[in-house]
Amino acid sequence: MRSRIICKLFQEYYSKDFHIENAPKQMDKREFGFILFSEGVMVRHKRFKRLDELKAFMRENVPSDAYYSCAYYEDPEAEMDKKGWVGADLIFDIDADHIPTNCDRVHDEWTCISCGFEGKGIVPKNCPICGCEKFDVKTWPCEKCLESAKAETVKLLNFLINDFGFLEDEIQLFFSGNRGYHVHVVSEAIKELDSSARKEIVDYICGIGLDVSFHAPVVKKHEKGVEVGRGMRFSCFGWPQRLWSGAQTFLEEANENYLREIGLKLDVIDTIVKNRAALLRGLREHGGLPLIRGVGAGTWKRILEHIVNLQSAKIDTVVTTDTHRLIRLPNTLNGKTGFKKVELPISKIDEFDPFKEAIAFRDGSIKVKVVSAPAFRVGDETFGPYKNGIIELPTAAALLLLCRERAEAVE
Amino acid sequence: MLTSLIKFTKSDLARYPFLKESAEYVKSLDIKVEDLQSPEFSRVLERARERVEEAILYTLVSRKLKHEEIEILSFPVAIMLTVATGNNFIKERYALAEAKQAYLDMKVESKEKIMAIAGNFSWRIWLASEAPYTFKIHFSDCLRNTVHLRDKKWKLVNRLMAGGTVYLTRSETARLLSEEVRRHIKRRLEASEVPKLPQFITDVAQKLSMLTVEKIGKSELEGMPKTVKVEAFPPCVSALYEAASTGRHISHIGRFTLTSFLVNIGMPIDAIIDLFRNSSDFNERLTRYQVEHIAGERGSRTKYNPPKCELLKTHGVCTNPNGVCAKINHPLAYYLRRGTAAKTGQRATNNKMLN
Repeated sequence: MRSRIICKLFQEYYSKDFHIENAPKQMDKREFGFILFSEGVMVRHKRFKRLDELKAFMRENVPSDAYYSCAYYEDPEAEMDKKGWVGADLIFDIDADHIPTNCDRVHDEWTCISCGFEGKGIVPKNCPICGCEKFDVKTWPCEKCLESAKAETVKLLNFLINDFGFLEDEIQLFFSGNRGYHVHVVSEAIKELDSSARKEIVDYICGIGLDVSFHAPVVKKHEKGVEVGRGMRFSCFGWPQRLWSGAQTFLEEANENYLREIGLKLDVIDTIVKNRAALLRGLREHGGLPLIRGVGAGTWKRILEHIVNLQSAKIDTVVTTDTHRLIRLPNTLNGKTGFKKVELPISKIDEFDPFKEAIAFRDGSIKVKVVSAPAFRVGDETFGPYKNGIIELPTAAALLLLCRERAEAVE
Repeated sequence: MLTSLIKFTKSDLARYPFLKESAEYVKSLDIKVEDLQSPEFSRVLERARERVEEAILYTLVSRKLKHEEIEILSFPVAIMLTVATGNNFIKERYALAEAKQAYLDMKVESKEKIMAIAGNFSWRIWLASEAPYTFKIHFSDCLRNTVHLRDKKWKLVNRLMAGGTVYLTRSETARLLSEEVRRHIKRRLEASEVPKLPQFITDVAQKLSMLTVEKIGKSELEGMPKTVKVEAFPPCVSALYEAASTGRHISHIGRFTLTSFLVNIGMPIDAIIDLFRNSSDFNERLTRYQVEHIAGERGSRTKYNPPKCELLKTHGVCTNPNGVCAKINHPLAYYLRRGTAAKTGQRATNNKMLN
């Protein structure tokens, strides 16, 4: 049962501060869905013809989370198979959950459901005490995680603008209000693409199924076997360009440990390290892959395959391929944090500060009893870490702890 | 440059009878179905019959450009004959055969004509100046026609793409256009409601159906093995099956894959529900609802197919692919291959599994 105070704050927000300047395009063709505090289940198949109807609903029902469909339907209120799908926006979800970082040990907690054993960091497959496989997991929207999500988002935007040719005004960029970013592409060009076509877009962005021999002048299949294309160059756009520039960064940074991690043999590593400058020069000046004794086509192939992984963007594959997906409604509150889902201009992504711009409650304070919380920042203030204590916090900071069930309100 | 202003000649219309201009030409002649019986049009009907026959026998429809008029007119009549057979195999085969011939012709067409044909299907196409490419087309026009092609060179991720356009060589463009042609003809074959056709038409259609049975025989009609053969499961389904049997956690898409696979190979619903019984959060009512939904016994009444290999790869369900996997693109195809190839005498194990 969610705390009463969360519900009260959300109610306050939706009766005073909730504004959507840009309603979803063709909102009367969309399905809306809500999770209500009172019922705890999803109420969906809703339709709103106008913005004021939606606002009135939000005010009266106060959902903990609000969603709308990426899809356009003839009849959004009908059962799923009778809605009459006419198209969908192309949406992307980049969530810190999908990106490995080294800070999860600090802020993520798990508890075994059967024996109550607790731990931190990545959730184990089996409980070390009782072997059970079900855990109660508490993650945290941390700065480091969000920075890595932002880096992935930047890569995604690069794909969408440079490779797919979407115009900046066809792309909407949002902070989800929790642990990631959402990107919505609203364009006639992709509206009618089915799930399998969207899957190809996903594979392109994730580098899934990429065969480097199509992009790099490395392995030209030849009658005699495999040959390196001498004098051949990388194309200066698309994946070839990514592999080329990625190879330069890789060579500049790679040390012996790193090279060993990607599975290269010791003598090859030695040759690469010794000839680093010559290899880099070959890459830059000739635009192809330089060959020296000891670093052949096989080695380059392995390096490029590793670069694919670095250059791809870690998006949630299921979200983008689902042509009926419900996605969080902009400017509504995220029930897991009390932050807003907010739009940001693409050009401002570098300086965007999610812990500042997504704050919904800027006044007042709340006294809470904290169970445990890592150090965190809201606005310009840093808080914690806390363990079992009563403390008075600014509303937004207290709400974050309440929503994440790390604290209870002190009446 | 988006579309070319080139005008199709009558010979073009005969070579590419699926073009809008060909259809308009036929319409302008205002011929009725009954007219086909008259001696004047007997050669049109005969050529139409021949088109479908060639498709069934050789999966290729020749072009007889000496008589352009007959060639143009016989195409819509061949469509009508194919619809009249009511046979899905013939429909698929006819669309494919026309497309294959179109590919051979387009491969050697001028750039301008290729662009004009592409424009006919509303493709956004431009000339490319980067060798070895001749054209670039909008990625959505590309995707519509590549998603069903298996060669990895057609995967978008293996293509050169910039500014929303995909670079193609001349023959690749012809290949994708022929795929567009195949889909276009298939749509026409499926969209047409079967009208009340005169006897002389249905007679021809019936003969074509007979020919198909003779030519194709039973090999194409073989179905699933009669009993459930666990040893014929593809590696991905085996892993999911194993996980379900031991109550380990399976992702949403994994559950869907396993259930829809088992439903499609004919495993009884109760046996599938039992399989999930070991899961720690097992809820019989909910599991039954979901399994029955996938089996098409509830809700939309659609029986769901398991996802294709491609999709399973994207979502990380594909595990330990083996030699057979390299030859198929759908888990059911794997089962079909292994299931029919497997020796008999497995009945005992199967029964044990189902009990």
